[in-house]
Amino acid sequence: MSNPILKVENLHVNFNTYAGTVQAIRDVSFDLNKGETLAIVGESGSGKSVTTKTLMGLNAKNASIPDNSRLLFKDRNLLDLTEEEWQSVRGNEIAMIFQDPMTSLDPTMKIGMQIAEPLMKHREMKKEDALARALELMQGVGIPNAEEHINDYPHQWSGGMRQRAVVAIALAADPEILIADEPTTALDVTIQAQILTLMKKLQRETSSSIIFITHDLGVVAGMADRVAVMYAGKIVEYGTVDEIFFNPQHPYTWGLLNSMPTTDTAVGTLEAIPGTPPDLLEPPKGDAFAPRNAFALAIDSKEEPPFFKVSDTHYAATWLLDERAPKVTPPAQIQKRWARWQEIQGQEA
Amino acid sequence: MWKYILKRLGWLVFTLFLVITATFFLMQIMPGTPFNNPKLTPDALAQLKATYGLDLPLWQQYLNYLIGAAHGDFGISFQYQNQPVSMLIGQRLPVSAALGAQALVVGVVAGLIMGAVSARNKNNKIDGVLGILSTLGISVPSFILGIVLVYLFGFQWPIFPVSGWGDSFSETILPTIALAVSPAAITTRFVRSEMIESLSSDYVQLAKAKGLSDKEIVNKHAYRNSMIPVLTLIGPMAAGLLTGSTLIEQIFSIPGIGQQFVLSIPSKDFPVIMGTTIVYAAMLMFMILITDILTAIVDPRVRLQ
Repeated sequence: MSNPILKVENLHVNFNTYAGTVQAIRDVSFDLNKGETLAIVGESGSGKSVTTKTLMGLNAKNASIPDNSRLLFKDRNLLDLTEEEWQSVRGNEIAMIFQDPMTSLDPTMKIGMQIAEPLMKHREMKKEDALARALELMQGVGIPNAEEHINDYPHQWSGGMRQRAVVAIALAADPEILIADEPTTALDVTIQAQILTLMKKLQRETSSSIIFITHDLGVVAGMADRVAVMYAGKIVEYGTVDEIFFNPQHPYTWGLLNSMPTTDTAVGTLEAIPGTPPDLLEPPKGDAFAPRNAFALAIDSKEEPPFFKVSDTHYAATWLLDERAPKVTPPAQIQKRWARWQEIQGQEA
Repeated sequence: MWKYILKRLGWLVFTLFLVITATFFLMQIMPGTPFNNPKLTPDALAQLKATYGLDLPLWQQYLNYLIGAAHGDFGISFQYQNQPVSMLIGQRLPVSAALGAQALVVGVVAGLIMGAVSARNKNNKIDGVLGILSTLGISVPSFILGIVLVYLFGFQWPIFPVSGWGDSFSETILPTIALAVSPAAITTRFVRSEMIESLSSDYVQLAKAKGLSDKEIVNKHAYRNSMIPVLTLIGPMAAGLLTGSTLIEQIFSIPGIGQQFVLSIPSKDFPVIMGTTIVYAAMLMFMILITDILTAIVDPRVRLQ
């Protein structure tokens, strides 16, 4: 499994604003293996989108990244790249699928041309060749009668079709890493499923790696190989998709899973995590989740928890895993998940 | 498309009819007569009135004018005797239009460039300097600027001729600058704000994610999208410039239509007032039509119908 194509090490991203320095990403490290899908989940403001923008070198001008942060991709640290070098990475080696297909296509340019653009830029193709390849890409992402629609403008297409075009743009230059920033959030559920199926199919065909940013755990279960849970600019727990769904250890992960309705959920009840995420202008001392955490320990407000190893692939940053910590009883739904985990482990053994 | 243009031209004619009607009756409210020379005897006055058809009942004058206008006959000037209005306008409008077109091209091109530069340097020194320049350009009246230009480049450093028309291109440089500054400043501000909006849009983010350079993004994506609202501004601006500027024509002694229009009002030269008003109205509507057609060409979401 350990064939990382991308290594993120000690990533910090700060934004200098008039009010002060916002610490949007606070020491994030993860690996992305070849051909896998890594989901990054978390609520709004947890730093998911800043992470992806950093991976594309697309942060706002007021962002600053300390020197010890490293994004290792193909023997280089992406953070050392000049803007021109970044341009040869973006859309070529690392590409991105955007959230809202209604606004992410240029309304005044023909869709075929928008798909051909990265090819002309990175493959130095002539316009005709690039458009011919764009047609193949349109067929590849399932646009019916593509040859009739290559000269259409975005407003002539539905949201789902436009998102297929956005996927085609991202795939045009055969990127090794595909970053999908909530690619289905703006679509209705049936279209969501189509786009997700399409992404899985294309991933199998191209063996590219996907970083999937979402707050929708339902989507994560179907798409991801591994999951990283982010809170307040940090990763708080990561593991394989089964480990996160059936053996979650961090109370924040419990909260997220608990707020996802299941078939057992009583009609009319929807669980939520109380409170709001902390202000990252002045991140709290200790565990940032402590104020919202029903299982918080005294040490949580004093000292930040390190990562505790649950398995070779599963780590969680919560003091509950320290040997001195008292045994707590997680919410009923999580206990059910744990029981299911025991069954799975039993079957495998 | 052609059907749409024909329909719009039909509306243009109808609107012109309304403009003619309104102007014709408004002029009757103006005090005084065209012939207020105290030396005129009542007989001579009656003679003059008969010559120009002013002795007829008002409704008949109106009908006569409409019929004449429909045939391209806009009457004879009272002021310049025996000169048909169409001939007067025909001589003077091309002068104003040539100067105006020159100023429009210079102003709009300068505005497009400065606006884009300003937007790409948002909130830094270059943007600040261009912001001050465009505020000055909008607030300083063109005739003050004209006088300053005459003083600087005609008197202090006599590089350009300060008056005249038709002898050399260099005569047109100072009035062109005087006329172009305000449109340039307005276009700069407008392009800047549109471009900033466009540069922060999702499709520009996507273009960046494709690996395009800033220059490619501006040229291929941002300009076209920013042009759509800018076009609506350029239409009326073109109409204003092409129909001449009274003050600038006065300062630089240019035999344009603007000067003639203003002089025709105190002298109650009805046919000239009517003729120039019609030209102005027609020019404005025509420019708006052209703007709409251009918008439909630039913006695929707009369909002419």
